[in-house]
Amino acid sequence: MSATWCVPVEMAKPIKHLQLVVRQIDEPLPDVKRVVLADQDDWRLPAFRPGAHIDLHLGNGLVRTYSLCNDPADCRRYVIAVKREDTGRGGSRRIHETLRTGQTIGVSVPRSGLEFAPEAMNIFIAGGIGITPFVSAIRTLESEGKTNYVLHWASMGEPSLIDMLAPAVEAGRIQLYNTLNVPPPDIAAIVHASGNDAKAFCCGPAGMLAAFDAAVAGWPEARKHVERFTPPKKAPLPTARPYRVVLAKSGQEQEVAPEVGLLATLEAMGADIPVSCGGGICGACRTRWLEGPPIHHDYVLTPQEREQEVIVCVAECAGQRLVLDV
Amino acid sequence: MSIASVEQPTAARPAAVPAWTGVVRYLHSTPRAFLPMESFDELVLIAGKGIQGDRYLIGQEAGFYSHKPEEGRQITLFEIETLEALARDAGIELLPQEHRRNVTVQGVPLNHLVGRQFWLGETLLEATRLSTPCRHIEEILGKPVFNPLINRSGLNCRILKGGVVHVGDLVRPG
Repeated sequence: MSATWCVPVEMAKPIKHLQLVVRQIDEPLPDVKRVVLADQDDWRLPAFRPGAHIDLHLGNGLVRTYSLCNDPADCRRYVIAVKREDTGRGGSRRIHETLRTGQTIGVSVPRSGLEFAPEAMNIFIAGGIGITPFVSAIRTLESEGKTNYVLHWASMGEPSLIDMLAPAVEAGRIQLYNTLNVPPPDIAAIVHASGNDAKAFCCGPAGMLAAFDAAVAGWPEARKHVERFTPPKKAPLPTARPYRVVLAKSGQEQEVAPEVGLLATLEAMGADIPVSCGGGICGACRTRWLEGPPIHHDYVLTPQEREQEVIVCVAECAGQRLVLDV
Repeated sequence: MSIASVEQPTAARPAAVPAWTGVVRYLHSTPRAFLPMESFDELVLIAGKGIQGDRYLIGQEAGFYSHKPEEGRQITLFEIETLEALARDAGIELLPQEHRRNVTVQGVPLNHLVGRQFWLGETLLEATRLSTPCRHIEEILGKPVFNPLINRSGLNCRILKGGVVHVGDLVRPG
């Protein structure tokens, strides 16, 4: 959201994320950085579930998602681990090259998480830094005294966060595969030997995920989980379909994808429209429309008002173009 | 029949009197947007400014809505009866620390107080407007509370007389 989106430019910029301080950075292995984030006064942070992840806002629009590695009971810190990927999309390079202790960065509220099989066996399969979502999961299971899990962890060389899983290693519930010396895990054999009620989880490189997908192709969805870091998507309304939004005064226009929605699209465009509740009841984002017609979902406008105005935070468009008088 | 005619007292229909007395059940604040609300036994209210340490203290604003300054948003209140109603009618457990208002009261008809003054312990408040629910709270909580909170998501107030408010303090008409 830009400074001009909600308010006149002289007002403060909206706070869209947690603002956390980088407390500590260490490098448990070359090319893997572990980052500890906390509030400036060590205030309690929003709770997270085992296997949850957060978005880091790294500046200049660069947003990357990372799993939380610490125990969810550790409620005043977020810990992530990032492997440098020189051929990646730039997030890990930014973290490795520019992130410094004491710096403040934007962090999303944690989301998602892993649903364990409560009684049956949980089979975790990780490749390299793909261990990260399973660290908090295994730490949770261990702290709850649960032993119904096993981790198969392949790594080219020494595994990177082994110190965070010491009790599980000592208990013999982690099978390590240093693929410089031994073959990688036979995923098909592992899942086929796991019984008819086990739940299997996988996070790792593309080849490993493909092998996992093939091995569990016939399994019900509830018994398998592949961890892929994709940006959060809004669940579109059943009636939603793509259209273009046009800002008549500035001439800007952009496609509105159903999973993004009008409000987020207008935010991305930096449209000068005040928004408050985001749910169609306060009327702050009331805007004149010139072409549409809009599909109204608000609780604010009368039928007569809807002929000329729209509450954009919840609206869609019935036509190909929604032209706003902005 | 107009509303005005309903409110006219007659011999047979006496004028309504403010016959309520409520109690402060919970006190919460948080210093910055998105951080969890923390429970306190007491809060320090500063007249004309807000709550010491809270994200909407005027002059030190760091809340989700701080880019939209509002003089009448120095302290916010919420009815415990709404939490009970959400559980009873919608099956939603919303905890006192989750609605993100500062003061959870019992026995106070908050929606009736807009434009009126009332005592919160030793402090005097003036209700400026009803709070509106916000999708932001659903993002933080992961609970579908937006629609059930419409028209009952609390009260925004300015602080006319500051002081220390404690859990258990009485709330009385001003």
